[in-house]
Amino acid sequence: MSDTPSAGAGKSITPKWIRGPQDFVGGLALMAVALFALWASSDLQGMHGFSFGAGTAPRMFAVLLLGLGAVIALMGILQDGPHVARYAWRGPLFVSLAILCFAVAIRPLGLVVSGLASFLISALGTPETRWVETIIVGICLTIGCALLFPYVLGLPMPLFPRFLVQ
Amino acid sequence: MADLFHNLALGFGVAVSPINLMLCLIGALVGTLVGVLPGIGTIATVAMLLPITFGLPPVGALIMLAGIYYGAQYGGSTTSILVNIPGEATSVVTTLDGFQMAKQGRAGPALAIAAIGSFFAGCVATVLIAVLGAPLTKLALAFGPAEYFSLMVLGLIFAVVLAKGSLLKAIAMIVFGLLLSMVGSDIETGASRMAFNVPELADGLGFATVAMGVFGFAEIIRNLDAGAEMDRQLVQQKISGLMPTKKDMIDAFPAICRGTVLGSILGILPGGGAVIASFAAYTLEKKIAKDPSRFGRGAIEGVAAPESANNAAAQTSFIPLLTLGIPPNAVMALMVGAMTIHGIVPGPQVMQKQPELVWGMITSMWIGNLMLIIINLPLVGIWVRLLRVPYRLMFPSIVVFCAIGIYSINNAPVDVVLAGAFGLVGYWLIKHEFEPAPLLLGMVLGPLMEENLRRALLISRGDWSVFITRPLSAVLMAGAAGLLVLAVLPTLRKKRDEVFVESEG
Repeated sequence: MSDTPSAGAGKSITPKWIRGPQDFVGGLALMAVALFALWASSDLQGMHGFSFGAGTAPRMFAVLLLGLGAVIALMGILQDGPHVARYAWRGPLFVSLAILCFAVAIRPLGLVVSGLASFLISALGTPETRWVETIIVGICLTIGCALLFPYVLGLPMPLFPRFLVQ
Repeated sequence: MADLFHNLALGFGVAVSPINLMLCLIGALVGTLVGVLPGIGTIATVAMLLPITFGLPPVGALIMLAGIYYGAQYGGSTTSILVNIPGEATSVVTTLDGFQMAKQGRAGPALAIAAIGSFFAGCVATVLIAVLGAPLTKLALAFGPAEYFSLMVLGLIFAVVLAKGSLLKAIAMIVFGLLLSMVGSDIETGASRMAFNVPELADGLGFATVAMGVFGFAEIIRNLDAGAEMDRQLVQQKISGLMPTKKDMIDAFPAICRGTVLGSILGILPGGGAVIASFAAYTLEKKIAKDPSRFGRGAIEGVAAPESANNAAAQTSFIPLLTLGIPPNAVMALMVGAMTIHGIVPGPQVMQKQPELVWGMITSMWIGNLMLIIINLPLVGIWVRLLRVPYRLMFPSIVVFCAIGIYSINNAPVDVVLAGAFGLVGYWLIKHEFEPAPLLLGMVLGPLMEENLRRALLISRGDWSVFITRPLSAVLMAGAAGLLVLAVLPTLRKKRDEVFVESEG
């Protein structure tokens, strides 16, 4: 399940009757995950006789999570608790982009290009970055990785873009 | 007794081969190197470095992983003492007195006593594993599916009780982990579950993928918005005088012994592990000290006891893993992942079928501890310098390193994307104060729990009372219930409430 429960993002104003918004939103998100799992496993076979089917355990855990999520959300209403923390956008965005870039580029473009590219993209994640040193360190690190993984550790991976090798 | 020596000799025969010694040394070195980075704990270190062991033969890989594990643990203690940043949960207590010692210019003795205490604890725990391993394996054979299930429940409850913050949320995280472990093919029927026809999901979510996401990537993202640069409080004085004085040794020795005993016991219990051991050891020292007010102001016992305890516990936590195949904590869960990748299914069978693997690993733990002393005492100066690398350069390197690492597991780009997605999930969890560690434990235990639950109910013909009518299983269940009650009791929760009040104000 790769769906990100980001329901709480950006919700800084919650009604007054919710005394612990952090837990309230957290509980709701867990309930959403559980409902999604229930839906996703609804096509699987359930109990037959006293032996479990393929869908029994997933549904069991999903129902359990649904219940726990509901209790957590309820506690969020009844108990004073912290507010939903502020989400930063810069770090998560660029780190995710860097990871995505690496995943897309590693096969066609090889380790050298994709490694350096994702290094530079993730460096965008903080305003502290100074570009000259970042580029130098990025190049050194890429060379290091290009030597370490395929040669020292013997892991098979393409180093250079496919169209250059052929 | 003869058996014991025979086993240890067999182990040393395997571990002392030049290649394995090298692997252990490299593992301990790299583990320390990564573990010393602030914000990267033991779990993240092991998860990150897991891929570099894939190309090795099984014995070598496990020996290297053991080295990485100890290196990471010690690296965490180093940052606790030098810069007041615990690299991991087990060394949180070490910061209390360790950093105070460092401020007084006694970082050298603090680091040295941590290493010595860990080494002593490691020696004792190695013997303990050798002694207890075989009998516990026999006990393991008396375990039916019902007992296994109950034991895992006990272990999970332990993990819940020890997790920081809300009990309810920790339980929810475990269940979330169990649910995630259901993705992939069903063991018995082979039906595809919640995989949405994605071929990469047919085998289930990779453990290393999720671990690297919720610990590695999530931690990086979180450090970015917290402004990690400001947290760094470097000890500016040059570390002078490495070795503790005679008085230090005399003060610390009883503490080391007590810490070792406590750690060894807690480590064996599933779910206990190193975190509780270090906390318990510190509390014990403070309780029995003549002058408790010294603690928190640089008492050497406050470093010696928790460090010994967490190392002893780390070592003895291999016992439930090797004998019962049950990972007692998240790091051990990663070890199971590593073993499975090499085609080894941990459990009583491994002890009998591949004794050279098991004993080789046990002795290499001891060697790993020895290496740690050799590596770390002279290298303290270098570790401090490494901490001066600014985070703006460190985090992109970690991102790239993790991405390559995940890709290399299956050569699958989808895994990298998944890890990224779990990074965001992990970030979200941190923001809502959910602990990711129980999630990981739940994810590892999920398939085992399901399998044993199914079998137990099949054997009992659908009768759920089997878990309380079989004596061994009943004892384990009672233990789990007792723990849960204890945790909910207000006296034990006092500390938690204090934390809560602080965060509100």
